[in-house]
Amino acid sequence: MITPGSKYFLGLTGLGLVSAVLYCFLVNPSDLGAYALFGLFISAALIAGFSIFTSDGDTDSVAEAVEANTETTAPSFWPIVFALGGALTLLGIATNEIVFVLGLAVLVGGAVEWVIDDWAEKASADTEFNSFVRHRAIGALDYPGIAAVVLGVVAFLFSRIMLTVSKDEASIIFIIVSALIFVTGILLAAKPALRGKSTAIISVVGVLVLAVAGIASALNGERKELVKYAKEDPYSISHRECGKEAGEHYDHEANGSVSLRSGVVATIFVEDGKIRAQEVGLKRDVQAITIPRSNSTTILFRNLDSEEYRLVANLGEAKVGTTDVMEKVGTCTQLTGKNEEQALTVTIPKPSNPEAPYTLTVPGATGEIKVVVP
Amino acid sequence: MDTVSPVKSLTRRISTTVAGVAGAVVLAGCAQNAPQDTWKPKGDNAQMIYSLDKLVFPIAGIVGVLVSALAGYIFVKFRDKGQAIPAQSHGKPIVEIVLTIVPALILTVVGVFTFRTIMDLAETQDTEMIINVTGQQWWWEYDYPAQADQGITQPIITSGQLVIPEDTNVLLRETSRDVIHSFWIPALNGKKDAVPGRIHLLRMQADQPGIYAGQCTEFCGLSHANMRMEAIALSKEDFAKWVANQQKAYTPPAEGTLAKEGETTFINQCSRCHQVNGIKDANGKAIISAPDENVYSGAAPNLTTLMTRNTFAGAMFDLVNQKCRADVWDAKSEEFGAKYLAGVSEDCLNEKNLRAWLRNAPAMKPMYADPAKLEKTNGLYRGMPNLGLTEDDIDKLVAYLLTLK
Repeated sequence: MITPGSKYFLGLTGLGLVSAVLYCFLVNPSDLGAYALFGLFISAALIAGFSIFTSDGDTDSVAEAVEANTETTAPSFWPIVFALGGALTLLGIATNEIVFVLGLAVLVGGAVEWVIDDWAEKASADTEFNSFVRHRAIGALDYPGIAAVVLGVVAFLFSRIMLTVSKDEASIIFIIVSALIFVTGILLAAKPALRGKSTAIISVVGVLVLAVAGIASALNGERKELVKYAKEDPYSISHRECGKEAGEHYDHEANGSVSLRSGVVATIFVEDGKIRAQEVGLKRDVQAITIPRSNSTTILFRNLDSEEYRLVANLGEAKVGTTDVMEKVGTCTQLTGKNEEQALTVTIPKPSNPEAPYTLTVPGATGEIKVVVP
Repeated sequence: MDTVSPVKSLTRRISTTVAGVAGAVVLAGCAQNAPQDTWKPKGDNAQMIYSLDKLVFPIAGIVGVLVSALAGYIFVKFRDKGQAIPAQSHGKPIVEIVLTIVPALILTVVGVFTFRTIMDLAETQDTEMIINVTGQQWWWEYDYPAQADQGITQPIITSGQLVIPEDTNVLLRETSRDVIHSFWIPALNGKKDAVPGRIHLLRMQADQPGIYAGQCTEFCGLSHANMRMEAIALSKEDFAKWVANQQKAYTPPAEGTLAKEGETTFINQCSRCHQVNGIKDANGKAIISAPDENVYSGAAPNLTTLMTRNTFAGAMFDLVNQKCRADVWDAKSEEFGAKYLAGVSEDCLNEKNLRAWLRNAPAMKPMYADPAKLEKTNGLYRGMPNLGLTEDDIDKLVAYLLTLK
């Protein structure tokens, strides 16, 4: 049965669909406008479906519903939300995509709630019944929606704080906050009497404190090393500095241990300032290691000296792009401390040339290991 | 005239079918020419597995027969004949304790021996030689790192046939260039997966010279069933000869011969993917093949000493004719080395196979080598494509390939 409420949403559904199709043909099918209009179409269709399915909330009262509610309705804050959404959307168009998307979400959310409120207020002359009908129509979406928004805001603010303080401070804050949540949860579970106004007040104060701290942290900016890493990718191949000295970017946060064991083809050692190699499976030193062609192969580097060293793979030369200019090809580990190890994974598509062999070297140590690719 | 009831007739048919299948299975176990028989160990490692089988199979067999017989008896004895449900009983402590302890004891005995065998098979301390084994769709590559104590002064690379010295603890270092494969020579050891990005170790040792057949045992795509391998065990003296031959310098064919023309054809048509070590272009520059630019796995078999092998295309086809093949396969242990090392002569060459392969390889072995269907691999072949060679080209190539010994 097409009820009065569903007529409105069906109209909105049709309008959304027509607008979306026209937008796709006349403007651009793949930009945000198309998504928003299709979103409107789908949302309105969903609510129209609900409305028809529930017969505007109550089949018995449909006849009575024509009698308009003459009582004064409670003030609604949804128009304000809707207006805020509109403002944010406009602001977002001028400034930032995230603000635009946020504004659009608030706008759509506010509009839906406002429309449902309006519809429910006119459902019958009974205010209590109207409230029940409204709750039945959209109540199931209210709390999860509000909870998602609140949790999102809390997580965002908390993340700002964690990105501002130092790593150690972040660990301590995380431990304290999680412990507080845990203890509060136990207390609330054990003593239901605590679930009153005081708890609500504490929660509100907590959120306010979080908001102030989060905003202050966001204004203060992220900690120095994060800002630096964001500007420079320390692990980028273009920043690999394969000399004897520590690199400005590449040698930060070097790992000293390797969990990868099953893919290792050989281990390179530095001991007493000399380089030596052992092939996996052979318990003796070798001067050359053999690795398969065109296959990802891992070599382990273990430093047994007190000085820091890195392993360098010298893999010949290759043309730069389509030009005839040749450049050296190679890669290296980070600097590795005493009794520490790192893995170096290489893929060599061409067989080795006896006149210009591939080699493994350690800057600062003597000797080299030949890499043979049959 | 007697009539047979439909029920009896059906029962008889089922019984006959079951008996026929069971008989066929039992008779299959009597095959004499079964080169991949798991119960004919020819090396220490396979012997370890066989010894474990000898313990586990009788126990498992007795348990299986007893349980099946008991289950059968219960099915028949208590089948529904419209009778009342028999009295149900449970909680007899002695029965429960016995039925717990007996299986536990059986599993403990089996587990102890199995665990010990697994540990023994994983032992690598006694390794005398290592070989890198790399699987790809659908062939195996073997490369031998330099090992002076084994006479290998320069790395050797071959495919299809793994050559090892007899009575030597060889450690295979397996990996893969594309998908997971599994290396299995039943007469010499169990199976071991070759996984991209990992190195898996597998011991290999052969008691005496001979050919031991194997098969990829991890489904790896279209031609998985055609991805075979053979291990060739040679006496230590013969192995030294094989190594010396593999390491010898390339000798180009004499000028003015058909083989020389074949070399040119090879350079133009084949060297994009197939490497022949030492081959040079007209300017005297060494030719380095680039399978990484043409083949999905990034590799194609190295053909430097193709005619020292008996097979090609992932050990799928014989390079030698039926008579010569039988000569090698059936040779006595002491004669085997000399016959294998003779390689492929003009008289022994299986020209039909080789020519057919050169004429249209994908027609002989299913591969993803249709140039029109390479979107998924970004234009790279999986397997050898049809090169569209003329019969003249094939004549020249056959003559040239025969010189690669």
